[in-house]
Amino acid sequence: MESNEKVINQNVEVNPDYYVDPSTETTLTKKDLNKMVWRSLLLQASFNYERMQAAGWLYSLIPGLKKIHKNKQDLSESMKSHMEFFNTHPFLVTFIMGVVLAMEEKKQNRNTIRSLRVAMMGPLGGIGDALFWLTLLPICIGIGASLGSDGNPMGAVIFLVLFNIVHFALIFGLMNYGYNTGTNAIGKLKESTKKVSHAASIVGLTVVGALVASFVKLNTSIVIHAGAAKVALEKDLLDKIMPNILPLAYTLLMYYLLKKGLSPIILIIITVIIGIIGKIPFPFGTIF
Amino acid sequence: MLLAALLIAIWAGIAGLDMFNGLLHIHRPIVTGVIVGLILGDLKTGAMTGAALELVWAGMVPLAGAQPPNVVIGGIIGTAFVILTHQDPKVAIGIAVPFAVAVQACITLFFTVFSPVMHKADRFAEEANTKGIERINYLGLTILFIFYFIIAFLPIYFGADSAKAIVEVLPQWIIDGLGVAGGMMAGIGFAMLLKIMLKKNYVAFFIIGFILVTYGHLPILAVALIGLAFALYDYFKTSSDSDGVRRGAPKRGI
Repeated sequence: MESNEKVINQNVEVNPDYYVDPSTETTLTKKDLNKMVWRSLLLQASFNYERMQAAGWLYSLIPGLKKIHKNKQDLSESMKSHMEFFNTHPFLVTFIMGVVLAMEEKKQNRNTIRSLRVAMMGPLGGIGDALFWLTLLPICIGIGASLGSDGNPMGAVIFLVLFNIVHFALIFGLMNYGYNTGTNAIGKLKESTKKVSHAASIVGLTVVGALVASFVKLNTSIVIHAGAAKVALEKDLLDKIMPNILPLAYTLLMYYLLKKGLSPIILIIITVIIGIIGKIPFPFGTIF
Repeated sequence: MLLAALLIAIWAGIAGLDMFNGLLHIHRPIVTGVIVGLILGDLKTGAMTGAALELVWAGMVPLAGAQPPNVVIGGIIGTAFVILTHQDPKVAIGIAVPFAVAVQACITLFFTVFSPVMHKADRFAEEANTKGIERINYLGLTILFIFYFIIAFLPIYFGADSAKAIVEVLPQWIIDGLGVAGGMMAGIGFAMLLKIMLKKNYVAFFIIGFILVTYGHLPILAVALIGLAFALYDYFKTSSDSDGVRRGAPKRGI
């Protein structure tokens, strides 16, 4: 199978410090950065449950990556790493973009870039939900809807203006802020890149552990009848052992199968089959 | 009527895209109500119905990827029916919600079946084919636009009852099953990240992150800060041991 070969190729570990063209002369201009802010509006164009915003994230970065990595192999390595799972708040994503672009520009260790990206995406996702969906949006709705309830169409206009002033000020501001932060931080980090990469990996893996617990959803609705006693498998047994045990087991199973060399496509097919079987209305109820 | 239905359907397509892309929030009922009112020639009722539906959906926001009943279709179909059937704006909610729930299920389904496309994207990334990555994103937009267009067009042109019958052809357990698969699928994404990032000396931190959310119910920011605390400790500890700079050097005494 051709797709299997590709996956195996990705297993070959490329030295994360190696760039065919290690020159760091390219500097992104304000115009480049702003162009990528506009593209970030399509962050969720190819949203899906496996990688979430990954392809949209890569789409947003493309002009910068193309300018930075003139060598095709470097560009390929960079694009591959940015196709990995990504999910954050669409209004705060430009901050991560800015930091990542500054690091790409200085041809930093790829593992450090990856770990930082992962470490930032989770917290910013949560902060964004609280700031925008639970605060800014209700405020703007409140102002707009009070006019709209009287049949005044200006309510809609005011709602849009208020909301988008904040929206656009943020996404453009954060891109530049992130880029400058990244550039300054790289200048200050005189220590070896391996130490920074190690520290970043610690934060990254902690966040991945947290994300598995909050994003992967799986629980069973099986009820075991033993005489008069009823035992709900999830509530009475699995949750007592450890909540989130099924999401963890499933993720580790997928990890194991990937290491065994199974292609992710096969894993998706397996997942869909498990999901559908789980919802078949059997006489004893459904599995999930 | 055909023209009005087509215009509303086009608006639904645009608003549907805005819900995930652009996020100007022209997809909120408060705005779509006015636009639908404009198309159907009753701006005042449109604005009022939009505002009423807006308040219904005000608390339903996409938190951590969970999808509430679809606000775009709810707002557009709800407003259109209030104006077309001269009902009270409050009735709109009853008509709008079943469609909004059905559309939410379809979107879940779409997010599930779009996952395999990511492997095509991996191929394009490997080949450094930037145009390919762009095409995949435009494909996602196109499918969403057409989907919203059809879902808004059917009930407005054929009437709510016959449209509902069309929406409900798929057996519920398949839709539910795909929903379950969708919930699990992020596990594959994380597994792929773990395959690259997870080394023996980091397993502990993965466990800590998982436990803090599972038992501690901490928000991700708190977990990231705890991770940062470990990282800082480790960073400065190894810089005081001049020979401990080797990556993953085991700490003495453990």
